[in-house]
Amino acid sequence: MFRRCLTAAAAVSLLLLAACSSSPSSSGADGKVTLTYLTFNTPSLTPTFWKNSIAAAQKSVPGVTIKQVVAPNTDRDSYAKQLKASGQFPDLLQSITPSQYTSANLLQPYDQSWIDANFLLPQGNAIKGKVYIPPTNSQIIPLVFYNKQLFARAGVQPPKTWADFLAVCAKLKSAGVTPIELGGNDPFAAAVPLTGAISADVLGKDPKWLQERYAGTVKFADANVVAAATKMRTLVSDGYFEKGALNVSYADSITQFNDGKAAMYPMGSWYLGSVPKDAWDNIGVFPWPTDDGSVVVPFAVGGSMAISTHAPDIKAATAFAESWSLSPDNLKALIEGDGAFPMLKGKTLADYKVNVSPVFTDSYGYVTQTNNKVSSIGWATNDDAMPGSLNNDFYAAAQALFNTADVAGQMKKLDSAWNTASK
Amino acid sequence: MKSRSRWLRDVRNDLGLRLIAATALLLYVIFIVVPVLMSLHSSFTDENPLQSGSNFIGLANYRTMVHDGELHATVLYTLALALAVTVVANVVGIAFAVLLNRSKLSYRVLRTVAFLPQVVSGVIVGFVWKTILTEDGLLNNALTRLHLVKEPVDWLGTPHMAQLSVGIVVAWVLSGFTTVVYLAALQNIPPELYDASSIDGATSRQQFRMITLRLVAPATTISVTISLITVLKLYDVITVLTSGGPANATESTAQYIVKLAFTSDRFGYASAVAMGLLLLSAVIALSVTSFLRRREIDL
Repeated sequence: MFRRCLTAAAAVSLLLLAACSSSPSSSGADGKVTLTYLTFNTPSLTPTFWKNSIAAAQKSVPGVTIKQVVAPNTDRDSYAKQLKASGQFPDLLQSITPSQYTSANLLQPYDQSWIDANFLLPQGNAIKGKVYIPPTNSQIIPLVFYNKQLFARAGVQPPKTWADFLAVCAKLKSAGVTPIELGGNDPFAAAVPLTGAISADVLGKDPKWLQERYAGTVKFADANVVAAATKMRTLVSDGYFEKGALNVSYADSITQFNDGKAAMYPMGSWYLGSVPKDAWDNIGVFPWPTDDGSVVVPFAVGGSMAISTHAPDIKAATAFAESWSLSPDNLKALIEGDGAFPMLKGKTLADYKVNVSPVFTDSYGYVTQTNNKVSSIGWATNDDAMPGSLNNDFYAAAQALFNTADVAGQMKKLDSAWNTASK
Repeated sequence: MKSRSRWLRDVRNDLGLRLIAATALLLYVIFIVVPVLMSLHSSFTDENPLQSGSNFIGLANYRTMVHDGELHATVLYTLALALAVTVVANVVGIAFAVLLNRSKLSYRVLRTVAFLPQVVSGVIVGFVWKTILTEDGLLNNALTRLHLVKEPVDWLGTPHMAQLSVGIVVAWVLSGFTTVVYLAALQNIPPELYDASSIDGATSRQQFRMITLRLVAPATTISVTISLITVLKLYDVITVLTSGGPANATESTAQYIVKLAFTSDRFGYASAVAMGLLLLSAVIALSVTSFLRRREIDL
């Protein structure tokens, strides 16, 4: 009895000691270094993709071992903060929002000459002039994807103005076709139309609006923002979203649009990675419509990984990050699987040997053409990123517009949340 | 000589038990007491998970709680959910327990099935029920095919329906636990009591009211208290099922705490809210326990 009790007590003590002494990152005297790398999985960015991409980049940086840390969901920022709070902040962090960490001096800026030499928009995701994530790719959030067969059945053409868009919705509805697909059960997806309306109507006319909001010279409760948000409410009240849109998950919304259950799908350009091959010729795209028909492209320059200032070997971490970021194979996988628009200097789509749909090529055209590109509200990762938890409040406001006509009240709430978040 | 060796054996056994108790106490202190004290300390600071230092700000976080509308909404929702779920889970639990209180093999299998919801992780419960309740989910498919509804029900799409759905799912989870607690209590009731009351002409309803309900009173105290506490700190099921939506309608206080700490970076304020929730849970648990214990004596 005594021996058994003693053994049990010793085992528990050992477990406690082991739990208190983990140290994932390390730098040895032999020049070998282990770095932790925070990644996340999506249907396109699979565990196999990460395994292969890490192995390939590791080859070009001898002596570096990467220990992958996978976020439990796509909210890698919250997970990174939990890791920081528990003393396990990763050395490399994939696709985080750098603005949330820079004031705490947690991220190492990249060498600007390397950024300038390799990327089309070197300042695309810069924060106060410094680049914390190589701007390897970009997204448009949202584009409006449409089903050509359903449009033909209702006798409508892709709209350019907001009035045309409403007319198209009305015709589709009267033809018995659900006009707009929305996976509103996932808060970010519910907010995509609101992102489109405010980005196009407010930032399209005043690209510095988010900076002015930081300065306090404009507000969400201003008439122009309320008018833009009212457009989303109009789509709800006129019954243009599918019935029970807030009861549809993001994953189901993709399946339903691909199955032809709705005519239009406002979504980030990452949807391009989910267009089924047999529908390549049936899916078209147009930008979120504006009042005057001018093209406004809500744009976000994303990228690969940030480097922690606390990494045990910043030089090795930088070498790994640079190797990963410039790997054509990684870009190929991101283009084909995640609909990413490549932003490497001196390369065309053909250079990546990708097999992409016509709708990808059409969408990419909005990136390469000269047009009115503005920050996509809630998605920009540069100085225009929203503070703290405001994205969540923005998503909640979008969901609320399904159940209340008080658009001004919701915008006022956002102002209040902004003031708290930016304190 | 014999008594000396027995004494030595007793001492060794006693020492072993003390060692086990000390280990348990050590674990409790490390994983419960120390974190609570750290959280209490943090609640008087402006701690941010990304910054290394923090400043003492006295009761400022607690004052902020007084005017925090979102906090009030989450607390009201959590309390309402706790009350509703506790009532439903305990009524269902005692009903199932009475039905399953048989010794046949089939009933023993059913008892295991009844406990399953409690065994499954909250995250898995959330995912499974999300699949059931979405627009094209199993439930809407069944209801429309049986012509019980004309159009799919918006189970998670409107604030009130989402709140109702969360309540049903959490009550389903807790019913597994309450069933087992009441079953254990029922099995301790001497069958002679039912036999004697039958001879005296008592109906089944009277037996249930006068014998069963009274003798399971200690189990009711445990079941109600644990059900309340479980819902007051609920996080996993709601996070997966609704993410707190639509429009924060199903956001629990625990979710709000996590959001404050790791999305808004207001770790100190999140700690203050956590302290508030701890206090609220303690007050509710103590009040309910003392009320139900008094009821046990009265019965």
